[in-house]
Order: sequence, then C-alpha cells, then structure tokens
Amino acid sequence: MVEPAHSPVLGGRIRGGGHVSDRTDPRANGGATAPVDGPGSGPDPGNPRTGDEPTGRRRARGIRNRLERRAIALFGLGTILLLVVLFYYPVATVFVEAVVVEGAVTLAVFLELLRDPFYFGDLARLFAGESPLAVASDLLSADRRIGIVGFTAYQAFLSTLLSVALGVPAAYVLARYEFRGRQTLRSLTVLPFVLPSIMVAVGFVATFGQNGTLNRLLGLVGLGPIELMFTLEAILIAHAFYNAPLVARVTTAAWESVDASAIETARSLGASPFRAFRDVVAPQLYPAVLMGAALTFVFTFGTFPIVLALGGFELATVEVFVYRLIQDLNYAEAAALAIVELVITLGILYGYLRYEANHVVRSRGVRPLPRRPLSPPSLSVRELAPRAGIAVYAAIALVVFVSPIVSMLYASVSGPNGLTLDHYRFLIDRQQTAAAFQVRPWPAIRNSLLFAAGALALALPMGVVVSVLTTRRYRGRKLVDAVAMAPLAVSGIIVGIGLLRGPVFGIELAGWQITMGGAAAIVAAHAVSCYPFVVRTVAPGLESVDRSLVESARALGASRARALYDVELPLVWPGVVAGAAFVVAISMGEFSSTVILATGTDQYTMPVAIERFIGRRLGPATAMGVVLLVVTSISFVIIDRLGGESFGI
Amino acid sequence: MRALASEEPDRSLEPLESRPPSTESPTEDRPIAVDLEGVTKRYAGTTAVDGVSLSVREGEFFTLVGPSGCGKTTTLRLIAGFESATDGAVRFHGEDVTGVPPEARDVGVVFQNYALFPHMSVGENVAYGLNFAEPPGGVSDDERVRELLELVDLEGMAEREPDRLSGGQQQRVAIARALAPGPDVLLLDEPMSALDAQLRERLRIQVKAIQKELDITTIYVTHDQEEALAISDRVAVMRDGTPEQVAPPREIYRRPGTRFVAEFVGDNNVFDGTVRSLGADGAVSVDIGPETFAVAPGEDDVAVDDGLAFCVRPENLVVEADSTGDPRTENVTQATVRSAEFLGETTRVHLEWQGQELLVRTRDLLSGEVLVGFDPEDAHVVSVDRTV
Repeated sequence: MVEPAHSPVLGGRIRGGGHVSDRTDPRANGGATAPVDGPGSGPDPGNPRTGDEPTGRRRARGIRNRLERRAIALFGLGTILLLVVLFYYPVATVFVEAVVVEGAVTLAVFLELLRDPFYFGDLARLFAGESPLAVASDLLSADRRIGIVGFTAYQAFLSTLLSVALGVPAAYVLARYEFRGRQTLRSLTVLPFVLPSIMVAVGFVATFGQNGTLNRLLGLVGLGPIELMFTLEAILIAHAFYNAPLVARVTTAAWESVDASAIETARSLGASPFRAFRDVVAPQLYPAVLMGAALTFVFTFGTFPIVLALGGFELATVEVFVYRLIQDLNYAEAAALAIVELVITLGILYGYLRYEANHVVRSRGVRPLPRRPLSPPSLSVRELAPRAGIAVYAAIALVVFVSPIVSMLYASVSGPNGLTLDHYRFLIDRQQTAAAFQVRPWPAIRNSLLFAAGALALALPMGVVVSVLTTRRYRGRKLVDAVAMAPLAVSGIIVGIGLLRGPVFGIELAGWQITMGGAAAIVAAHAVSCYPFVVRTVAPGLESVDRSLVESARALGASRARALYDVELPLVWPGVVAGAAFVVAISMGEFSSTVILATGTDQYTMPVAIERFIGRRLGPATAMGVVLLVVTSISFVIIDRLGGESFGI
Repeated sequence: MRALASEEPDRSLEPLESRPPSTESPTEDRPIAVDLEGVTKRYAGTTAVDGVSLSVREGEFFTLVGPSGCGKTTTLRLIAGFESATDGAVRFHGEDVTGVPPEARDVGVVFQNYALFPHMSVGENVAYGLNFAEPPGGVSDDERVRELLELVDLEGMAEREPDRLSGGQQQRVAIARALAPGPDVLLLDEPMSALDAQLRERLRIQVKAIQKELDITTIYVTHDQEEALAISDRVAVMRDGTPEQVAPPREIYRRPGTRFVAEFVGDNNVFDGTVRSLGADGAVSVDIGPETFAVAPGEDDVAVDDGLAFCVRPENLVVEADSTGDPRTENVTQATVRSAEFLGETTRVHLEWQGQELLVRTRDLLSGEVLVGFDPEDAHVVSVDRTV
C-alpha cells in the first residue's frame, strides 16, 4: 500500500533555483485527485518548498555552478592554448623559414627543391618544365633516378606490402583459430607499436649484423655470412616488425566482427564456403586491411630512427635527410623538405579518410564466427593444408618478430669468449669515467623517467580534454578535431627544431625574453606527440558511453563537467589507463625530437644514448637497449596495475 | 508489491452509457506547471517537433503518445533541456526556461534503458542527485535513499550492483533515483518498453500510485496507446511533430478528434460516406455505396452532400450470426466473415463489407454471412469534408 500519511517522501522539493517559490500548495486540490489513503496523504504542509538556503551560500554555489558549467570550455581553451605554445607556434617558425628568405616571402626554396633531381629524381625535370612524355619514358627505363623522395615512397610501398603480407595471415590465425595463449598473442600485437624504435634497431643489428645471430647460425651450418646491414631488406623487415602487427590488429578486429549468421545465410542460399568468404567476409576485411596499409605507408614514409640506424645516409629517407640538413644548419631547405613530406603524408591520410567515410561497414557481430582448434581434428588434406601454412608462417614470424628481441638480449650478455656481463660492466664504468662529451647511462635512465613522468602529467589531461571535445556534437567540431590531431602528422624532428629555435633559444614578447629549459622543451615535445594516443584510447570509450547516462546525471543536478567526472571518466577508466601506458612507453622510446633537443646538453635519454653507442660499440648498445626494454616494461606494468587495482572495472 | 486501486479506464465489452464520458482532467483547476508554446525543433532537413503548444497542470499525469517518429521523445527532451528548441518557448510555472541547462530545471528523468550508472551501487545511484540538492523533508541522504527504495519496493537492495537486478527492478531504481532530489516535474521516456507485458502492467500501476502519492507533475512518453489510456489524466496523441488531440483518456477513446486518433487509439472502424439528408431530430443520414446509415450529429455543422467520416468501435458493432435473423439494432447491413482471432476474453472477427475490413468483438462463433449493425449514438463523426 501507499506510504502512511506524513511520509517524509512527500516532502517539499528544494533545489537551487527560486522559480518554484510561487507555487500554490497542491494540497488545496488534494481531495480531487483522490489519494487512496484519504486526504491525509497530501504533501506535508509544514515543509518549506524553497528558500531556506542562506543567500551567501547560494551565491557561492552560483559562482561555482557557473564555473563548472564553463569548465569543459575552459579546459578546452587551455589545451588549445598549450597546443599553440608547444606545437603550432614552434612548428610555424620552422615552416616560415621555408618561405621567408631575408625578410621576403618567396617560393624559391620550394622550387629549387622540386627541381632538384637529388630529391625528386627524374620527376624533378617535370617540375623544371620538361615534357611529361620524356620524363615518363625515362622513368620507365632501367637507369631511372627516383631521388630521395622517390626512394622514401618506394621503401614505404614495399614496407606496406610486406606488412600486409605478414599481418593478414596473423589476423587469420588470431580470428579463426582457438589455441592456448591466443588472447595473450592478440594483446601482444600492440607491443611493437610501443617498443622504442631505436631499441628495435639495435635488435636488428644484433640479428642481421655481420656478427649477428643470423650469420652465426648460418656459420654453424657452413653457410657464408650474408650482409643485410645497410640494405633495403633490413629496413623493410624492421618496418614490417613494427607495422605488420598493426595490420594484424585492425584486420583481426574486423574479422571478429563478421556475423556468423551472415555467412550461414549465404551458405543456405547456395554459396560455397569460398564464395561465402568472397561475398560476405572479404568485403568487411578490405577496409580494415586498407586502413592498416594506409597507416603503415604513412608511418614508414616518415620513418627516422630505423633508417638512421639500419640504412645510414646511403639509404636516407626524407626524414633522415631533414635531420641531416638541420645538423648542417640548413634550416630553410630542411623546412621545405619537411613541408613536402607533410603534404604527401596528409594527402594519403586524407585520401584514406575519404575512403573510410564511404566504405567502412560498422557491423557489430552479434555472433562471431566460431574458432577452429589449431590442432587438426582429423588428418585429412582439408584440415592439414591450412595448418601446414600456419606452421610456415609461424617460422617466418619467429624470425621477424621474436629474433630481434632475443638477439638483443643474447648479444647484451655475450662476448668473444662466451657469456659475459662485460657490456653491463662497461655501462657502470662509463658512469664513473665518462668525459664531459660522452653519454653516461644513469642520467639517461633518470632523464627518460623524468621526461616520461612530465609527459604523462601533461599529455593525460590534454588527451582527455581533447577526447571530450571531439566526441561531443557542436559546430566546428571537425576543425577542433583536425587542430588537435595535427601533431600526429608532423614529424618529431620538426617539433624538436621548432621548440629549439623558438622557446628554447628564447622568444621576444612585449619586451620580455621568454626562454624555456631544454628539459621542459623535451617534455613538451613528448607530450605533444603522445597525447593523440590518449585520445585514441579514451575517445572511443567516451563515444560509446550511453548518452542517457550523462543526461540522467544532468537531470539529477550535475553540471556537464561534473557528469564527465562522475559518470563518463569512471566508465572509460581502462582507456585512460591504457592511454597513460602508451604515453610512458612512447615518451621513453621517443627519439626524433629528443635527439634534436638533447644534442650538446646533458638532457639525453636512453634512446639517444643507444644511438651514440650503436655505431661504435654494439655490446653496450644492446645492454642499454635491454635496460630501456626493462624500464619501459616495468612502467607499463605499473601503470596497468595501478589503474587496474584502484578502479577494478 | 503494494497493490493499489487503479483508475484504469473500463475496457470491458459492456457499453459505458451509464457514465457520461469524463472530459475533465482531475487536476483541471490547478496552476500550470509546464507549458509549451509553439515549440519547434528542426534538425537538418527534418522538423521533429512542429509548433507544439501544451499545458500540463501541477500534479497531472500527462502522456505523449504516438507512433515512432512523431516527435514525442523530442518534445520530452526539449522539456528536460537536453535539446534546445529552434522556435517557441518552454515555461516552468510561467517562467521561460530557454537556455536553462537540464541540471537547473529541477526535473527527474527516467529513460527506457534505465540508464543506471553501472559503476555505482543501487544506493549510490539513488543518492547521486543528493550531491546537488538537499533531500526534501530535512532528512539525511541515507534516510532519503532508504525511503525511496522503500517507495519502489526495493528495501535492502542499496548495496546491490545495478546489473544484478532484473529489468523491472532496474527501472524502479531509476524511478527512485529520479525522485530522490524531490524534482518539480517527473519525465518518463518510454520507461516500460524494455519490459515484458506482464511486468509492464504491474509497473505501470505502481508508477501511477507513486505519482498520485507524491502528487508530482508527470510527463510520460509512450508509443503504447493502451498504456497511455490506462495511466494518464490527459493524453496528447501526436503525429508528425504535432498533437492531433489533447484530452482525457475516455474522451480520446470515445470521441477521437481526428481520423488518425480514431485509428491509432484502439481498434476502430472508420466509415467514409456522403451526407444524404438531415433528420428533424438532428440525426444525419449518410450514404455509403448503396447503403444508408443514420449517425448521431457531431459537433460540426454538416450540410447535404458533405463528405463525412465516422467511426464505430468494434465492441459497439452488433453482430447477428444468422443472416436471416432479427436485427437487434439500427443500421443493419450484411457482411462476410474473413477470419477470427481468439483473444481469450473475446474473439476479434475480421469482416469484409463493401471491400472494406470491419472489426467486431464478440463471444459468438461466426462464419459465412452475418448481419452487422450499430446504434447511431455509437457512431462518432471524425471528419467532415465540406462541399461549399
């Protein structure tokens, strides 16, 4: 039955605003609505409806409410401001150098660049005004020249092919077969992405170098040493190491979201298994493979540490050459080249996004395809053939993905006379005996940790704010999205040189000389390059939070910012933690901007130290690489644990 | 569950002529709590809500009903402040709330999917609104949560995780959560749609009881016309972003204002004909094909040769199984039985008459040719198409 009369539930309603104060007592009409318990069950007349909140408190609350209401906008503004100071302004100063020579705006630097066969090969003659037909015929002949830009595109194209070739079979195994450790293997595909590239380079030197694991193994079976270092092949394999798991990850996700009933429908309508795959599964996989390929091309087009370490200047890509030009203090040409690179990269990304907008099928697999056991249920050809293929693939994958890490670990503890800890001892000795210009291990470790912590403190709030800004609907959202995501497209070298020549050397502003410490600049560069990854991990979660949850909170009295804090953030917390782990790992492995900002200072990090060692002493480089691997892994695990324990969602 | 004498409209087969149709809402003389004036909401290319003007009185249970896409949910969201109107004004107690964010509107909202915060316990969910408002009645937050859980029959469930509850329990938690801060207006957006039929009927009785007990202004959105009739003081039947008729349930059912309302609310038979003559007693003779029917005059003036549509509810069509038998009523005509649906209490029979389908409700077994007729008083004119 209904509550007895004078139930406290029937009390008056008090909430901030005063607009209810002029209401008449509903009890005046209580009888007409015929409460079951009789007239006594109307609202308690003794209860004030409003107005017992002291004016001062109310005013304070009003101010707080107003601040809270604007909180998201304020945070958004702050983030944009940080981006302007730490990214857009520095980068702009670099790009301006490409078009402003001695105070005058000119395209001369660009034109010179475009007409230089060194950069554009035979294509440069086209820009110089030669007939396209003559250029085309030369390009088709055997002794064509493609220049640095052409070579960069060429190696990126081959790297993409190799990554797709290695990634798609992995997706097939992960999506279609059940075996122990499948889940672990699936999560491991994220690992290469966060491994410091310079460390991977060390791993590849340890594997494919003259005295590397591969040649030793070949030597054991009496085969001559092969030279893979400073060849295109080494670069391609290293790129595949990075990007094939990326292709595998996005393809696996697409494959798993194929609804089994769609295939069953096709089969019941008369399609053969192959036909059903071609008509139902494949169309859902293409967009994912293409996305993996597009990202791979963009990443490998802008590759830097891997080519620097494995290719040297003989096989220089655009990015390596930008670095070289900067070392030669040829900023104008470096900036022009960087812009050319940026235009190509953005063009590809734009093309892909256009394609994605039209083609991506977002079907949430209600019932995913059943997985087959990896061990064959029978010994028929139909069962054995695909598994034999998988075995071959596994052997190749072992060489590409596992051997670099294992070789690095092994090389760090082996010397001419068998196992040794000499390389680690060298690091400790170097700590004591290093000359001023030599890098020492401990500051490298300490700096890496400090910079990672600083980058985390900056990138995490930035990433969360940008996620909020880009998942809400309002006019101009696309612009905010583009502004916030641009740092992904601009190379670390440009960010580094922009920060170095701008804030670090000092900015004149209203008569004040504003300078930024080298360490602060490195943290800024890391934060700017890391926060998009926080957005990547947080935004999808925010997007999928049920709108009615937020609306419920707001109807209950929470401001938009408060609803974000109380409801959305706790729900997307795993994404925030993952983002934090990304930030730490990427900051620790960041090389491009750090090497620019740390040159000639004692702000070097572990990756920079490794690069210094790699040419002369492979042993210590591998030892340093192991230290980097250990520190990165520990940080990764700590963050994961911290997040997991305090917010067990 | 605490039972409660409900005020469900009589849906039995017996005619209700003994009671005149109630055209008054029980809250008629109360001040207006929520008032919409020419409220319009346009999205790119579509108009979801088109010039809606409505007034909801204090303590009234007001329902927006209509087919999907009719703008009922958007109207509710405009009242809650989740959307802002392209045009027109929403007023609470006469005060324009345009630009007032939802958190300052003093509303409680219940969604179809419950929208419980999954990371909070039941008790924390109910207490959430108390972060921003003092509990009414001067009680502590804990006491308030206990009261509300008791009100929705979930005593002792405060520690539970929401996803451990059944759908009906979750929806009751959502109602308790919306009511905890003592809102001025309760807004419910299809709160029963996700529940099974039996549970839906039980919960709606409980919702109505709580609404009456708290005397809280309530605006309810549903696509289920039966639910709308069962629960409301007044109903607005919406179509294409505009209310077609706003009236108490009985009036909506018996005197549908438009053809759409006649066909949307309950089963109905709509007849289209031409006025042939006007009788001395005001009765109107209507020609449909070769037949002529007498219907009671509606409120509109009609003239000879006007087009006229009237409706007769299936339960008001009298059927005689023996086509040669004695008709018990006026307006008798012959029809053919096409199919029958046994519904338990009665059977709904589909007849074919002059190429049109007629629905009747009967307890008899029917087949072949039958006689159908109706009392002119049971015919309600829904539209007049004037010739002049």
